[in-house]
Amino acid sequence: MLNDVKIAGGAMTPFNRRKDGSSFRDWSRTAVSGALKDASLEPRDIDMLVVASESDFFTLQLNPAALLADECGLFGVAAQRAEGGGASGHVAFHAGVAALAGGMAKRVLVLGVEPSASHLKGADVGALYALSFDAWTDGMTGVDATSLYALSAQMFMQRTGAKHADFAQIAVRNRQNAGLNPYAHLPLDVSIDDVVSSTLVAAPYHRLDCSPLSDGAAALILARAKDLPQNGQTRASVKGLGNSTDRVRLGERSDPGYFAGKREASRRAFSMAGVEVTDIGLAEVYDSYSGAQLQALEALGLVEDVVAAERSGMFAADGAMPVNLSGGLLGQGAPVGATGVAQVIAAALQLEGRYWGLRPAKAARFALVDTHGGIATLNTVSILEAP
Amino acid sequence: MKQSITLDYTLPEGCLQPHFEALRRGEALASKCGACGHVAFPARVLCADCGSDALGWVTLPGTARVSCRTGGAEKGVALVRFDGADAMSTVALKNPEIAGETGKLSVPENSEAGLWLLLDTVTAKGDGNV
Repeated sequence: MLNDVKIAGGAMTPFNRRKDGSSFRDWSRTAVSGALKDASLEPRDIDMLVVASESDFFTLQLNPAALLADECGLFGVAAQRAEGGGASGHVAFHAGVAALAGGMAKRVLVLGVEPSASHLKGADVGALYALSFDAWTDGMTGVDATSLYALSAQMFMQRTGAKHADFAQIAVRNRQNAGLNPYAHLPLDVSIDDVVSSTLVAAPYHRLDCSPLSDGAAALILARAKDLPQNGQTRASVKGLGNSTDRVRLGERSDPGYFAGKREASRRAFSMAGVEVTDIGLAEVYDSYSGAQLQALEALGLVEDVVAAERSGMFAADGAMPVNLSGGLLGQGAPVGATGVAQVIAAALQLEGRYWGLRPAKAARFALVDTHGGIATLNTVSILEAP
Repeated sequence: MKQSITLDYTLPEGCLQPHFEALRRGEALASKCGACGHVAFPARVLCADCGSDALGWVTLPGTARVSCRTGGAEKGVALVRFDGADAMSTVALKNPEIAGETGKLSVPENSEAGLWLLLDTVTAKGDGNV
């Protein structure tokens, strides 16, 4: 059981494709200074930095934690980099909590950053992402992420009866949710017809079913209440963490359409938090593809029949379980290292009643955050509690 | 600033070298668990079923049946079950323009890694392959 670990503050840059000449170092400074200001802390108050960045191929900077500590004025801090594919930001968050819980630090700054959009051509990024799976059997054959997600989605559809229209509804809703998020990459007002008529990438997925490549950074600060101004009374707490892997090769899973590793990560998080599924009032879920959101919600165990729940409107802002009010990856965007950090920030700010975007109809006491790397191969789940 | 790096990797295949050498000959060399009999293709270094490292080799016929596929006429990817294997495999399709449901392992082009499947062409009767 975690006790008394607070999310003291958080900030993010816009997630988009940068065309202003700014660099990932600039975005990092912006996010870090924003998080410090939000937490009413100074750089000298931080004694540990955890940096999330998926790949040196994006930044072309090895040892980024030391560099970014230096560039962000966090001189002399303990520093490390955390990586878990698409879950890197969330893995870094867990590493920060673990450092606090283990007494290794008093105030940890978690920084996620990735220039996923502007540094390399899209095809090159796609080739790198393909190495997130078993590179020897998949990535080097040219088996790309979208194709693997598509195969998994097909198996999910066969088992559950989900239709592409269900996926398209998520693609629409998450983009609409992003409309009130000033940091979102794709706050689009699109229709199901727009999704269906967008370019077919890999059946069942069309272009608008896919999350974008984004640039950006996000940072948050973790500390125990006693080490924060006003004891962090207005800040959300970390209640439970869970992490679990699944078989890397999709074909080796007993059901390639089911995210079994995510189910275990969720079970572990709920067990640590000591709460029930019915206690969760909102969720930020890893929607790298529209159908993956439904697959995630199924595996997280938040509902019995995920397809029926989707069709009932349960996951809308005015539903019983609002999901991805930030817009998720589909709407807010996906600069990989920053993605999980931004998810945690969104959930924490929602619980604190000060989120900058779409709010749930009913205030939540507990929120769940879900991120994964590979195709739900490395799964990371956190449960937060309102102050 | 502009920066370009060309990286030319040499990746030793370790314990799986026999498997990859067979793939380059177009042969389906699978690993078979000496403890539980589980057959893995692509081969594994530990049994996917029981975790044993007492693995040996077994040659499969290389024929497979497609469970599901995606992609278009230019590029195709499928989940298939190779005859004799106990789990499915992800393959790239060599002839994705074909709508066949069965195929055979094919030699990768340019010594590329991974599994490539050449789909069978279905005859007019739909009951034979050529």
